Amino acid sequence: MRLQTRKLLDRAFAGSGVLAIVLMAAALVILLAPMFIRGAGAIVFTATVEHRRVMLEKFERGNREKLEGEIQGVLTARKPIYDMIADFEQRLADSDARERAKYGKPLKELKKALQVLLGPAPGSVRPMLMRDQYGQTRWDRAQVKLARVLYREEWDYSDPTKGGLKVLKPRAADFAGTPMEGLFPYLEQNLDKMLLPRRTVYWQFLTDESFDSHFFGGIWPEILGTFYLTFGAMLLAIPMGVIAAIYLTEYARETRLLNLLRTCISTLAGVPSIVFGLFGLAFFINTLKVSHSKSVLAGAMTLSLMVLPTVIRAAEEAIRAVPHTYREAALSLGAGRWHTVRSIILPAALPGILTGIVISMGRAAGETAPIIFTAACSVGKPLAVWQTLTQQTPALSWNIFNLATEHEAVDEVRHVQYGMVLVLVSMVLLLNLAAIILRARVSKRLRA
Amino acid sequence: MSEDASVLNRKRQERPSLLLSHTARRRQRLAAAMGNGFLLAVTSLSTLAVLFIFYFIARDAWPFFRVEGIKEFFTSVRWYPSAENAEFGALAIFVGSGLVTLGAVLVAVPLGVAAAVCLSDVLPFSVRQVVKPVIEILAAIPSVAYGFFALVVLAPLLQQSGGPMLGVAVWIIGAPVAALAIVVVADVGTDKLPDRVRPSVRWLTICVLGAGAFLGLMVAGKALTGLHISSGTNALNVSIILGIMALPTVVSVSEDALQAVGRELREGSYALGATRAETLLKTVLPAAGSGILAAVILGVMRAIGETMVVWMASGNAAQIPSPWYNFLEPVRTLTATIAGDMGEADQVTGSGRYHVLFAMALCLLVFSFMCNLTSEWIIRRARKKVGG
Repeated sequence: MRLQTRKLLDRAFAGSGVLAIVLMAAALVILLAPMFIRGAGAIVFTATVEHRRVMLEKFERGNREKLEGEIQGVLTARKPIYDMIADFEQRLADSDARERAKYGKPLKELKKALQVLLGPAPGSVRPMLMRDQYGQTRWDRAQVKLARVLYREEWDYSDPTKGGLKVLKPRAADFAGTPMEGLFPYLEQNLDKMLLPRRTVYWQFLTDESFDSHFFGGIWPEILGTFYLTFGAMLLAIPMGVIAAIYLTEYARETRLLNLLRTCISTLAGVPSIVFGLFGLAFFINTLKVSHSKSVLAGAMTLSLMVLPTVIRAAEEAIRAVPHTYREAALSLGAGRWHTVRSIILPAALPGILTGIVISMGRAAGETAPIIFTAACSVGKPLAVWQTLTQQTPALSWNIFNLATEHEAVDEVRHVQYGMVLVLVSMVLLLNLAAIILRARVSKRLRA
Repeated sequence: MSEDASVLNRKRQERPSLLLSHTARRRQRLAAAMGNGFLLAVTSLSTLAVLFIFYFIARDAWPFFRVEGIKEFFTSVRWYPSAENAEFGALAIFVGSGLVTLGAVLVAVPLGVAAAVCLSDVLPFSVRQVVKPVIEILAAIPSVAYGFFALVVLAPLLQQSGGPMLGVAVWIIGAPVAALAIVVVADVGTDKLPDRVRPSVRWLTICVLGAGAFLGLMVAGKALTGLHISSGTNALNVSIILGIMALPTVVSVSEDALQAVGRELREGSYALGATRAETLLKTVLPAAGSGILAAVILGVMRAIGETMVVWMASGNAAQIPSPWYNFLEPVRTLTATIAGDMGEADQVTGSGRYHVLFAMALCLLVFSFMCNLTSEWIIRRARKKVGG
């Protein structure tokens, strides 16, 4: 081969490596960007007057008089619409059956779409479901619902080679030649007066309970559930893990037993998370019966087994990183082995152990599969500490899954899903950041 | 004699000594033994946990194998666990797991090994300090967040413009690879020719092969661009995401393996006049081969054991794609089946549906156990070889 070609290959080789790393970083950015941007939209968004109504009526937040003033204005702006509909209904009642048949269905659909957008019409019966009692609370969702009022969705199956095509038909065409035609342009132009959009920071999203399966309110029960599960798991895993690490590094001799222990620990680390979940169900709940059915306790126990290998490894590494001179100095001063471990080695290894603990905490907080059968439920109240022994809890990780796949109106609560993802990911990232900083300080100190 | 001894004994007892009395020493020894025993007991809790996991999963899987036998489970594709005459043919589910794992490996291994090589031998130390946290964060992001991304962002994207994206990807990956290959082939092929004609023949070869490669890429790109993707939740989507999730494992384990290859080998190779690429490809990578194999195995374990991503974004259709390598069809994996069906299976009384899920879990468990043992064995052997 010519030297030039060899050089070219060399460059290409290095380039491909750099490219791989750049791709990895890009993947990270592409992953995190939507979570952060749209997740922030759960907290900072343009809220309508309906949002302020929910806040006042459910959480006693906001200025009642001011809101009542706003509602007066809103009702005045909405009045022409309801008047138009009432007039038209009157006219239909007076007209013949053919007319009624022609306009009956479109009118019903229109009223339904309007109710979704603006809430129930004044004077109508209060609906059962809370989601039907209020109009759209978010301006971005209101725009979507406005389109539903203005246009009717139809599916065109005329081309058999492709699936159905979505066609938008203006509703105004259904009412061509009637006074109702004027409703649509009026609605489109005056929607902001009917909903009074305003930039809002809804930070209570993090501390509010949710209403009507997450249509309203925040994600506090989920945050609290994740917190309980994580801390419960760490409470069990830390003592076990640190003691095991002390034994493995300071006491055990290189025997067959030690090899067996190590193999078991790495096997435990390799067990798929869903198998942990099944094990938790079969052992902690069905056999030990730590609780009648799913509970935070059972979930925390399962999670603690899962993070145990991580804690052991991290603690082992941290203890091994303590320089040998420390040990020798302590032993030469007459300290016993346990005394050395307790007063010299553990304090020196503490930051390293903490790093491992913090990383495992992130893992425990984000894990879903082990808690599906042992602890998680989709809707629930925030639990008090003693209730964690017997009751199941919602948790961020599980509810992200649940809201994104099993919720009855996935698109309506998209912002809640993103908000949960944002909270979970930033929790985990903060924990990891703490670990990275801790480790940097440790390595600096050990080097010095 | 005996008198002397007793005097000596008395003297020894009278002398103030560092040694403790007999009882105190015994007490201390007992305490040490007990402490040691306690530590050992706590440590063996993890062993106990592993044994218990195997026992409890196997215990609940056993009724299934006893009643239904093995043959249907592993060879039939008819998966109707809730029907009147329930059928538990899990072959399609095994294939689904295998397929997404294969896809994840295809994504993670080339990228991961290239990144590891770059980290250990190409980049300066300061850049490495920046890249390391990126890898760690990639490893730390919860799987449900990956799954959410796959379902909410990637799946609609694939469904709408997956074809054109694949077409562009073929060009981005194919064009540089083809160009390099052509240059090398032309170079090697014309090595033996006389000096006079060599350059012109080489250029001719490059032009001819280049035109061929261009045409080939055009055809492939066009075919992929025209591809209709009926659903964004398919094996391709999951493979990409699982590949990204397995990347950190692959990178860090193979980087360790590359670091373990000593300087001497590298310097020897450089001294013989090899370039960096030649050194790495012909000397370092073969020497680190077993470590990289271990990295691949660990990556496979990560991918096959992952639940949330595949549950959310694989489409969950219990069928073998036709042809089997068609990554654009939805698949269903073992983990997703366990997670999805357990809610519907009767959790307490233990129906056939309940036990079949434990049978799947047992398969997963045994597989990951074997993988683990293999990778440990490989790493230990490699360490011995390097050490010796």
